[in-house]
Amino acid sequence: MSAYESKDIILQVENLSVVYDEKTIIKDINLVEKDTQREGKVQGQTIAFVGRSGRGKSTLFRILTGLAVPTTGKVLIPDMIKVNGNPPSIVLKEVREGDVGFVDQKYTLFRHKTVYQALHYAMRNTKGTEKEKREQIDHYLADWGLSNVKNQFPNELSGGQRQRTAILEQLLSAGIFIVLDEPFSGLDVGNIQNVKRAFDLVNGSNELNTLIFSTHDIDLAVELADSIYVMGYPTLSKGTLATYGTLLKHYNLKDMNLAWKGDLTKEHLELIQEIKQTMLTS
Amino acid sequence: MELKKWLRPFEELKLEQRLSILTIWIAGVLFYWFFATSGEKRLFPPPGKVWEGLYSLYNEGLMVHIASSLGLCLKATLISIVFSLIIAYLSPVPFLRPVAVTLSRLRYLPLTGITFYLAVVVSDARTMQVWVLTIFMSLYFITSLLGVVKDIPQEEIDHARSLKCNRWEVLWEVVIKGRMDYVLDVLRQNLAIIWMMLVTVESILVGAGGLGVLIKNSDRFMNHGRIVALQLVILLVGLGIDLFLNTLRRMLFRYSKI
Repeated sequence: MSAYESKDIILQVENLSVVYDEKTIIKDINLVEKDTQREGKVQGQTIAFVGRSGRGKSTLFRILTGLAVPTTGKVLIPDMIKVNGNPPSIVLKEVREGDVGFVDQKYTLFRHKTVYQALHYAMRNTKGTEKEKREQIDHYLADWGLSNVKNQFPNELSGGQRQRTAILEQLLSAGIFIVLDEPFSGLDVGNIQNVKRAFDLVNGSNELNTLIFSTHDIDLAVELADSIYVMGYPTLSKGTLATYGTLLKHYNLKDMNLAWKGDLTKEHLELIQEIKQTMLTS
Repeated sequence: MELKKWLRPFEELKLEQRLSILTIWIAGVLFYWFFATSGEKRLFPPPGKVWEGLYSLYNEGLMVHIASSLGLCLKATLISIVFSLIIAYLSPVPFLRPVAVTLSRLRYLPLTGITFYLAVVVSDARTMQVWVLTIFMSLYFITSLLGVVKDIPQEEIDHARSLKCNRWEVLWEVVIKGRMDYVLDVLRQNLAIIWMMLVTVESILVGAGGLGVLIKNSDRFMNHGRIVALQLVILLVGLGIDLFLNTLRRMLFRYSKI
């Protein structure tokens, strides 16, 4: 088993359901994720949601980010004021718009702001002097390989630069949580590598940092995530499929000794097959 | 072989070839003009008559009339764009949305009815022209600007919200600042209608001069040379404004990629 310790609850979803126009989209969503700590290494959390199209992943993500209100249930995240203050124990609060960063699959940015202006705007509510903010932005730009495009607009950026800017912007604004809706969709090998590097940078910069993403690429989910949820239509007692999405399975890759391995082993491949099988029947 | 390409659909041609095609068409039109107007019976005046018409118009203060028309256009455009922007920018507010939609629908109202009611409250011809134009331009601008607001993808709204923008900040950043370049484009797209309307308004209310008055006077005396000369002037001034706005958009908005 990978040496790690589970600490405080970092994300808790309780009895979540969403109904639009009398149609249930998702139902009975419950999950708990805890802060992972590894000795001698800063380790954030990476949580993947997989499932076939139309199973409610995007709806769930809008709820997780506070951009939509659930019909029932709630999403709890750590109260950052309490995390940074005294006492240091984590107190949970209901998620609100802006608490959780959100990156869509198009990596949307403000079209009228340069990279630097976008990052500066993302930090507008952050405490600190103008000089401190400027230094912090410059530091991030250098780390993320964006220094040379800091004065360029989104339409002047390459795909990879745009992805890194979108993730960085959310990191500077939201703090520890970033939800990414299908971040690997339609990307070539090079850009997938860029996003993976961005994941590493986020995970390695603060142990509370938590990336939540959805993908149709099960191999990537297993390679990158330490926790995987499979969403799909549940099988009803009559043997037919329901028409709402829910969490069918949860794989804790840390407990399975499959997290943070870098390369895919035989066990990873078996897990991939198992996940695909679950998806096909849901 | 090269000529065959000119007739093949979706063929990409070199710049020189495109210029050659353009030259051929211009030469063709000019030739037809000279040829078709050389006989006894003719629909259009010959080039010589048009030139004479242009010369006489110039001597009668054509430039002053152009300036008058441009001044009227500028004044009415400024008032109507400010009014239209306020209405369109507030359209995402549910309580105010019906106002914007209703004003947009009013573009089907006939010009004559409105001028009658305006004539009751406004006596000065120039003010009357400004208000008739302003009202009608606003209705078109509002329609186009509502389209711009409606076409903003939900992702852009969500992106701003995820960055802790409150709803008014979303409106400011995404709709107002984020679509400023579109305002110039809306202006450009509607300018053809506005320019045509301007000449009509000037010819209805002749008291304040302008290109519309010139065209009406020439029409009355069946002076075809002057009429065609004026049409060409109006066309060129309109194209000039279009070019100016397009250049302005490219210069001011580097991020614009319409």
